[in-house]
Amino acid sequence: MEEKKSVLKAGASMLRDYLVLVMIAFLVVITAIIEPKFLSGSNLVNIMRQFGPLIMVSLGMTFVIIGGFIDLSVAGTINLVAVVTISLIQPLGQLPALLIGLALGIVCGTLNSILILSSGALTQAEALFITFGMSTVYSALALLYSHGSTMHFWDISASKSVFEAIGGGNIGFFSVSFVIFLVLLAILWIFQSKTADGRAICLTGGNKTAARLSGIQISRSIVEIYVICGFMAAVGAIVLFSRITTAAPVIGAGYETSAILAVVVGGTTLKGGKGSVLRTVMGVLLVVLMSNCLDLLGVSSYMQYAVKGAILMFAIWLDNRKQA
Amino acid sequence: MDTVQSEYILSIKDVSKSFPGVRALDRVSLDVRRGTVHGIVGENGAGKSTLMKILSGVYQKDSGTIIFDGQIIDHTTPHESMKRGLAIIYQELNLVNTMSVGENIFLGRFREMKGMRGTHAKAKELLENIGSKVSTTKLVSDLSVSEKQMVEIAKALSFKSKLIIMDEPSSSLTSEEMVELAKIIRQLKEQGISIIYISHKLDEIFEFCDIVSVMRDGHVIDTKPKSEFTRNELIMKMIGRTIENEYPERPRNVGDTLLEVRSINTRKLHDVSFTIRKGEILGLVGLVGAGRTEIVRALFGADKVRGHKVLIDGKPVHIRNPKDAKDAGFGFIPEDRKFQGLVLPFSVESNISMASIPRFTKFGFIRKSLEKNIAAQQVKSLSIKTPSTRTAVNNLSGGNQQKCIVGRWLEISPKIFIMDEPTRGIDVGAKYEIYTLMKEIAEKGGAIILISSELPEVLNMSNRVLTIFEGRITGEFIPETTPADRIMSAALGIVGGES
Repeated sequence: MEEKKSVLKAGASMLRDYLVLVMIAFLVVITAIIEPKFLSGSNLVNIMRQFGPLIMVSLGMTFVIIGGFIDLSVAGTINLVAVVTISLIQPLGQLPALLIGLALGIVCGTLNSILILSSGALTQAEALFITFGMSTVYSALALLYSHGSTMHFWDISASKSVFEAIGGGNIGFFSVSFVIFLVLLAILWIFQSKTADGRAICLTGGNKTAARLSGIQISRSIVEIYVICGFMAAVGAIVLFSRITTAAPVIGAGYETSAILAVVVGGTTLKGGKGSVLRTVMGVLLVVLMSNCLDLLGVSSYMQYAVKGAILMFAIWLDNRKQA
Repeated sequence: MDTVQSEYILSIKDVSKSFPGVRALDRVSLDVRRGTVHGIVGENGAGKSTLMKILSGVYQKDSGTIIFDGQIIDHTTPHESMKRGLAIIYQELNLVNTMSVGENIFLGRFREMKGMRGTHAKAKELLENIGSKVSTTKLVSDLSVSEKQMVEIAKALSFKSKLIIMDEPSSSLTSEEMVELAKIIRQLKEQGISIIYISHKLDEIFEFCDIVSVMRDGHVIDTKPKSEFTRNELIMKMIGRTIENEYPERPRNVGDTLLEVRSINTRKLHDVSFTIRKGEILGLVGLVGAGRTEIVRALFGADKVRGHKVLIDGKPVHIRNPKDAKDAGFGFIPEDRKFQGLVLPFSVESNISMASIPRFTKFGFIRKSLEKNIAAQQVKSLSIKTPSTRTAVNNLSGGNQQKCIVGRWLEISPKIFIMDEPTRGIDVGAKYEIYTLMKEIAEKGGAIILISSELPEVLNMSNRVLTIFEGRITGEFIPETTPADRIMSAALGIVGGES
């Protein structure tokens, strides 16, 4: 009797842990039944494309959240990186533009972490406000830099083959952006779960005071998480504008909330300490599938906001239940 | 039993509760008579807290019955049980620091009190009733621990509580404050209120309680009137074996000077300088807030301090943060185990290994098998009781949690081990094990700086003590040869002097 009960309990907690997988399967089946177009080749390609930029940003966000912080500046970072990178293709060539774009993401992340460290802000709420402020700053810089205008690929006469490949090329069966995702996922997963720095980030997120008093350099962890997040936001920005072949200075709007949603839905706790980039992949998949399915079912985009919000609430509620 | 008022305010029958891997309570039965003070003693992990949390509705029982004031209590919530007249005052008091005393007492019930004026008037009445003169408009953050406790008791009374549970109420009280607490307990009893008094401190149990229950390993071992227990019997029942001494002998082989600290000055500390020798236990004695913790935090680099000098083996070392301190050979047990020491949701393994990460890392990569060995070895050599090294440290008892922190540092063999309240909230058996460990560390040539609010502990363990009063060192004594009252008066700032 007792054993049966505990087996049931373990089963229930496992189900709760991987609820997101069940939900994904459920979503696929239901949508495929109601709308057979869902499984068509063109729709799957569509899903893959939607997946691209969001997964990059969300992977970076995962580290910030595991470290016990949050980063709302990714939208601003995406705006800035996108307009700067696209504008440099013509004068500098595409490879220097690409590298400068990525470096700019790292600079934004570093700046965030320096501000957080120097103000002594050690709570998620403080980080939320600081990075929210920085998002506006980065967005403003993007607007100033681009004079508010959108830049298009067709205005660029120099070679832009690299970006075209990122936007629409294939390597064998997979799209180039998907291969980039796989490579980055592998690197980030190894960093998170196999390295001393990854461990330090988890411990920092678990209990900053205890980590510091055990001789762990939490300032180093904080710099690392924001640098990773800034870098991944830059990668996301490049994948995004390469796909749509234009870069407006407001291109990144909404990515911060979608990324946080994906990370939390995936099962990384907002309290910090526990989580994984692999979970985030599932979270992003769910978010993308959900919006694709709602699109196919003809649900208005206003209604979709409400659904997204409800899912986030549900994920946080579930997370709190797990902790208790 | 079916009379209007049974003689028991609370009857617990065959209550069981399991957590994953642990049977916390095993068919526990307990009756609390009306108008008595009922003591519950037991080691940490004996099930006292679990039982209390079931009573208050924080946890739900798996089986058994609970009858409170003639009513069967099944599913309850903390709020419901308060309304029913069962109040718990937790060790870590549950008040809102940024609100006033009156607001705290009637938190969420301002409308019932007809606004702020009514709230403060009624709060004043309740506090006066228990002989407290705290102003009801004062902020809780400005109160002393004992004043906060008064506020908690007043809050309990505001619910017309019939039973008040006090969980380790004395753990951060000074001796004068204890006298106050004793007075209040007597008063409450006179008003017909029953009290469950949970404590590790046998002196208090014998002073306050009428009836004593002993818990061990999730069972109630024995319940008897206090007068029928002897002190030794109580200890034996608690730990299930006899111990001859409360303290081991002091370490004997004190060597050369190991650490020299020169002039720590901060807002709270004034020109603090001292030395410590190899193999020595140095005790810091002083009131809570005298600056003992600030001294060791400054030394360990946990707080920013400038201008002081630290020499280890005669060589100056520069400590800017805890990592520098660790690299220089310091170990540190912080005063607050849960919030400063442990990463509670993490495993025993990662909690033990967190100070020695470089030792199982190669080229930046963690070697899992080495880490596992390190943790398993500490669990074994310190006999930490845990189902496995992968268990969340949160599920361990206080003593075993503390041993995890000790093990964390032993792994890097620190030269100077700072221990701030190493035995707070842990039971007699585990305390003795920690003392033995301290002695071992010292005898291997390590030095220990010991802070404790329990004077007998510092005096019996230390080779030498420094008294701290208002941020200054007011005296240096050899406790083996100095009467305790002389040390105490130096710690109270009454007389200074060397011995």
